[in-house]
Amino acid sequence: MNGKIEVEHLSKTFKKGNVQAVKDVSFTVEEGEFFAFLGPNGAGKSTTVQILTTLINATGGKALVAGHDVIREPDQVRRYIGVALQETGVDPDLTGRELLELQANIFGFDKGAAKKRAEELLGIVQLTKDGERRVGNYSGGMRRRLDLALTLVNEPKILFLDEPTTGLDPSNRMAIWKELRRLNEENGTTIFLTTQYLEEADSLAHRISIINAGEIVATGTPKELKAQIGNDLITMTFKSKEDMLNAEQLMSEHLGDSEVINQNGKLTCYVEDGAKQLLTLVRILDEENIEVESVNLSSPTLDDIFLKITSEQKEEE
Amino acid sequence: MGNSVWKDTWLITVRNIKTTLRNPFSFIPNLIISAFFLLVYEAGLSGIAELPTFEGANYLAFILPVSIVSAAIGGAGGAGQGIVKDIENGFFSRLLLTPASRLAIVLGPIIAGMLQLLVQTILIICVGFLLGLKVETGFLGVLFVLLIAIGWGLAFAGYSAGVALRTKNAQASQSGTLIFFPLIFLSTTFVPYELLDAQWLKIAATINPTTYIFESMRSVLIDGWVFSEMIQGILAIGIACAITITFAAVSAKKAVARG
Repeated sequence: MNGKIEVEHLSKTFKKGNVQAVKDVSFTVEEGEFFAFLGPNGAGKSTTVQILTTLINATGGKALVAGHDVIREPDQVRRYIGVALQETGVDPDLTGRELLELQANIFGFDKGAAKKRAEELLGIVQLTKDGERRVGNYSGGMRRRLDLALTLVNEPKILFLDEPTTGLDPSNRMAIWKELRRLNEENGTTIFLTTQYLEEADSLAHRISIINAGEIVATGTPKELKAQIGNDLITMTFKSKEDMLNAEQLMSEHLGDSEVINQNGKLTCYVEDGAKQLLTLVRILDEENIEVESVNLSSPTLDDIFLKITSEQKEEE
Repeated sequence: MGNSVWKDTWLITVRNIKTTLRNPFSFIPNLIISAFFLLVYEAGLSGIAELPTFEGANYLAFILPVSIVSAAIGGAGGAGQGIVKDIENGFFSRLLLTPASRLAIVLGPIIAGMLQLLVQTILIICVGFLLGLKVETGFLGVLFVLLIAIGWGLAFAGYSAGVALRTKNAQASQSGTLIFFPLIFLSTTFVPYELLDAQWLKIAATINPTTYIFESMRSVLIDGWVFSEMIQGILAIGIACAITITFAAVSAKKAVARG
């Protein structure tokens, strides 16, 4: 048993509609790592998590979670993982404390130990004073915190969280982030998180894989991913469409390798040493009497990477 | 770490019982309707017991099985509704993500449904006694009636759990319980077989397993130990259970499979 996730050539085709949701995905998450799967809706994030947590079977490839094969030894895997999926819910007629105790009992805690564990976890997610209330009366944020507590009952080596903060207000989101960081740093829990929010992946994860249309399109630390597409981003808008098209050509000629993207009435390009390049570009455009409306220079965010990668993919198709 | 199947089944059954008790409206209406049947039919129809076909039998004892079977079917339907509720709110998935025995996850709500049924049946029989019911075979006869009710309930629980696991949808499983009406009423519900008028109803009553359930209960309540009638009832239960439990098991296997 270890806290690793090893995935090789994983794929999943749903019989219904013959949809290939996951296509030949491979990656490894080391013990103690905080790993994020970033992608838009329908990218295959949830399907991957469902396979890794033994809820559905893959149609191809292999996955080891905590050192056990998810297909052949699902019960072993289930012992060592904590899971909060979008599909998982709670029985609204039970209280928070009852749910935690039941979960503990199912994981083999005896009565006394289950009580203790429930008390402990209610404290961790700050629900101690709501422990006696039925979960049906909880707010969305409280429910999500209880969800997190439920995943921690068996002191998992690996936590799987499928969009844990989607739809939460900022204060509840921060509370979850704080707890996830603590679990990862203090307990060394491996965390596999999926998210649509770039800032979430950026701020929490050690390493990120970007998944789109069932395929991993980029993997790296947030820093590496940002570096991958150049250091700085130049954005320009123009007074007229004609000017913009002329500018696009001039800039492409000047920049050579770096690509100029024409999107939503803006020209963007990723360049090294952005300030210097910007001055040169403005001078070139000025010489040709092209009227620039606005100019912006910024360091790339994960958003930019995401857009770049997914737009490249679309072009290939 | 890890429990036996029994421990898991126990844990999940207790959970289902708790949930049922916290939703009294999931069982009280059914109980009231069954008691209502008993009161209304007894009050309105007991006169027909004067007919020679009844051979002087007490109409209360004759109609009681109808009320018991209706309570049993309602109680057993709770098993399916419990499962659908779990699937819809995602608790079923959460249980699947634990090492809990897959059998226990499906069996828990069924056992809870059976217990609910047992309590309802006992209550209905108590109402019968309050109305002046006399049982020919005494206490053992009441036990036999309970046994038949449980058996018939189990068959229906298998059916309702199977529909629930297959459709995973509350409306669909709710409409699945509509089978209740032909089961109860296309039978020797109000009068003995000989008094059924329409030929089609006679045929329906012959096919309907509920007829044999009614007759076996009536035989111990009214006539005494008539083994041929009792065995027909047990046989009807055996066949029905074999079909519905298989249906439930196949549906369950599909629902917990990782397709």
